[in-house]
Amino acid sequence: MQRIIHMIRKEFRQIFRDKPMVVIIFIAPLIQLFVLSYAITTNVTHIKLTIADFDRSAVSRSIIRDFSHTERFDLIGYTSDIRQIGQEMRAWKTQFALVIPENFSKNLKRKLEPQIQAVVDGVDGNTAGVALGYAQEILSRYGASVMTNPGNSSRNSKRMHLVTMLDRMWYNLNLDSKEYMVPGIVVILLTIIPMMLSAMSLVKEKEIGTLEQLMVTPLRKHQLLIGKIIPFLILSYVEMAVVMNVAILFFHITMNGSFILLAFLSFLYLLTTIGLGIFISTFTNTQQQAMFVAWFFMVFMILMSGFFIPIDNMPQFLKALTYLNPMRYFMYIIRDIFEKGAGLHYLWKDAVPMTVFGLLIITMGVLKFRKRIG
Amino acid sequence: MTMNFKDSMIPTIARKEFLHIIHDPRTLMILFLMPVLQLIMFGYALRLEIQNVHIAVIDYSKSKDSRELIDQFKGSAFFHPFFFDGPVDKINDLFKARKARVALIIPQDFDKQLLRDTAVPLQFIIDASDANAATAIRNYCSRVVNDFNVSYNRKIPLPFDIRSSVLFNPDTKSTYFFVPGLVALLLIMISALLTSITITREKETGTMEQILVSPVRPFQIILGKVLPYIFLAFIIGIIILLIGIFLFSVPFEGSVWLLMLLSTLYIITALSLGLMISTIAKTQQIAMMIALITTLLPTIMLSGFIFPIASMPKVLQYISYIIPARFYLLIVRGIILKGSTFMELLQPTLFLAGMSFILLNVAVRKFSTNLEK
Repeated sequence: MQRIIHMIRKEFRQIFRDKPMVVIIFIAPLIQLFVLSYAITTNVTHIKLTIADFDRSAVSRSIIRDFSHTERFDLIGYTSDIRQIGQEMRAWKTQFALVIPENFSKNLKRKLEPQIQAVVDGVDGNTAGVALGYAQEILSRYGASVMTNPGNSSRNSKRMHLVTMLDRMWYNLNLDSKEYMVPGIVVILLTIIPMMLSAMSLVKEKEIGTLEQLMVTPLRKHQLLIGKIIPFLILSYVEMAVVMNVAILFFHITMNGSFILLAFLSFLYLLTTIGLGIFISTFTNTQQQAMFVAWFFMVFMILMSGFFIPIDNMPQFLKALTYLNPMRYFMYIIRDIFEKGAGLHYLWKDAVPMTVFGLLIITMGVLKFRKRIG
Repeated sequence: MTMNFKDSMIPTIARKEFLHIIHDPRTLMILFLMPVLQLIMFGYALRLEIQNVHIAVIDYSKSKDSRELIDQFKGSAFFHPFFFDGPVDKINDLFKARKARVALIIPQDFDKQLLRDTAVPLQFIIDASDANAATAIRNYCSRVVNDFNVSYNRKIPLPFDIRSSVLFNPDTKSTYFFVPGLVALLLIMISALLTSITITREKETGTMEQILVSPVRPFQIILGKVLPYIFLAFIIGIIILLIGIFLFSVPFEGSVWLLMLLSTLYIITALSLGLMISTIAKTQQIAMMIALITTLLPTIMLSGFIFPIASMPKVLQYISYIIPARFYLLIVRGIILKGSTFMELLQPTLFLAGMSFILLNVAVRKFSTNLEK
């Protein structure tokens, strides 16, 4: 026991001797917290709009007004040459063009159902779809106002019967994406810090030869590993506490669930990430290799966890693959604890496979490590 | 600086750095394999189109109209409607067990209301724990409701016709959007991570002092060190571009030469960033951490890779101007998908060139002061 404590003390001294590293470990997550919680919004606004108005009438002007009086579109200019629209799109100057043809208002009055054209840059398919939807909505509203206009009486005798949506947003009334992303960031933290740092710290000892020095001390192998693991466990928990405090106090993230449950399940998840760190250190020889491999695992895990790409959107075979990703389970768990206040009653389906993965990975890592240094 | 290239130490340093790279086949293999694997995985996984949303329908009406509405949901590609008999307060359990993400409640007199009133409110309860998905789900629901309204009020059309045309990516496939973007992400990560340790390594292993006593100028060392990496990153870039374009059959509209030229400029920017980090950081571990932090998340989140920059808060929009990928994304997507010409891409090109110039300058200057110490 005494030996393990000495080992832990040595590890902490090594970590905190490296001042810039400590800064990175604690500052970087806070910056990420800030950026991520504000950057991620699929709510599309400020679409760059060009208008080609060949009609130049009161009607076309009022349509243009409807388009420019919303923050969904930013009117950036007019053109009188249709070919110019394609050119401007190629130079990324505009994303959306509305073409109002000649005699539009005249034909509208004569009830000839004139055409109005919307041209959209389809490269960003998501934005393109949303932009077309916005345009449709604005134009339909304009069309409806034309029809209910008292001067235009022939058609509006028929009344429309419309179903309207009354939507209730549960768990997150204001549709604040922070509430969803910030718990996700805690998961990322509990992955990067333990995995990256434990892998690199073990490989570093190998690289500079101090692992052999540790081997000839009376320290047993399991004591060595425990001494390596515990500091990273403690560091991860401290880090998690800091980030969660900032999130709750400054970003006003609501935590509906139990902290104790969260801490307990986090421990089970840390088995996985620390285990992966040890595992990586056994088959890499330099810090650079360890870094690259850890990076690969990380990108793969983040991508397949539903952190920012919903798993439901993925093709079937990738969706099946996500079940092999321990982070997937923890991502669901932590978000459900934070937002829905879910208890083990709902979460055991994720907690069980996560624990199995954790135990498997850490056992594998430890066995491989013991064989390597044996 | 009056020496010509051959007489200078640049080729020697470049050769030394090159040998260092190929002496470590394991790293080299990782370098080539990883981006390819990630490209393939990302290319398939990145989908923003919401699919397979399970919608619980509580139908108290059980009328022809309610069935028609439910059929509209069945007919759309996004929704899997299923009937839910339980009382309304059981919806919470449904959401917690993640069996549904939205519940639709159709009141008993739905068909009568529809005959009588001009506006019939219909309650949708959406699991908004994922706010973005909730927004998307609401949009899709309103689309289906719209379709229902149109077919219900078939006799009253709009007074004009809206014709829409989608340029450059008519089927709005997200693969076409993401594959070129992935090239930007992978190139900057590989380049910055590679060079970030070149100078730190010398500091850590003490070979910096050897450089100190040699008559080589700082900028020659930097140039010599960067050259092999430009070559390496260029090859990796071509490999991922080829795989991306052929595997995902992305149409290539523009000039291959222009893309290679501007990609080289981007690689230089990324390598300069790595070099600058390398001159600042004291240990390899720190260098790699900084490289990772400054490239991975900012490139994914703030460059327009997924999320449109124009929709972000102003502060983040300004920050996005210091992210090289923001400009390269315009270039690579422009050339591949739109066939943009050099003149049309002048602005992002100038930004990248300016950025490399500044980064390299800082690197050389910082490196010189390192040497003097």
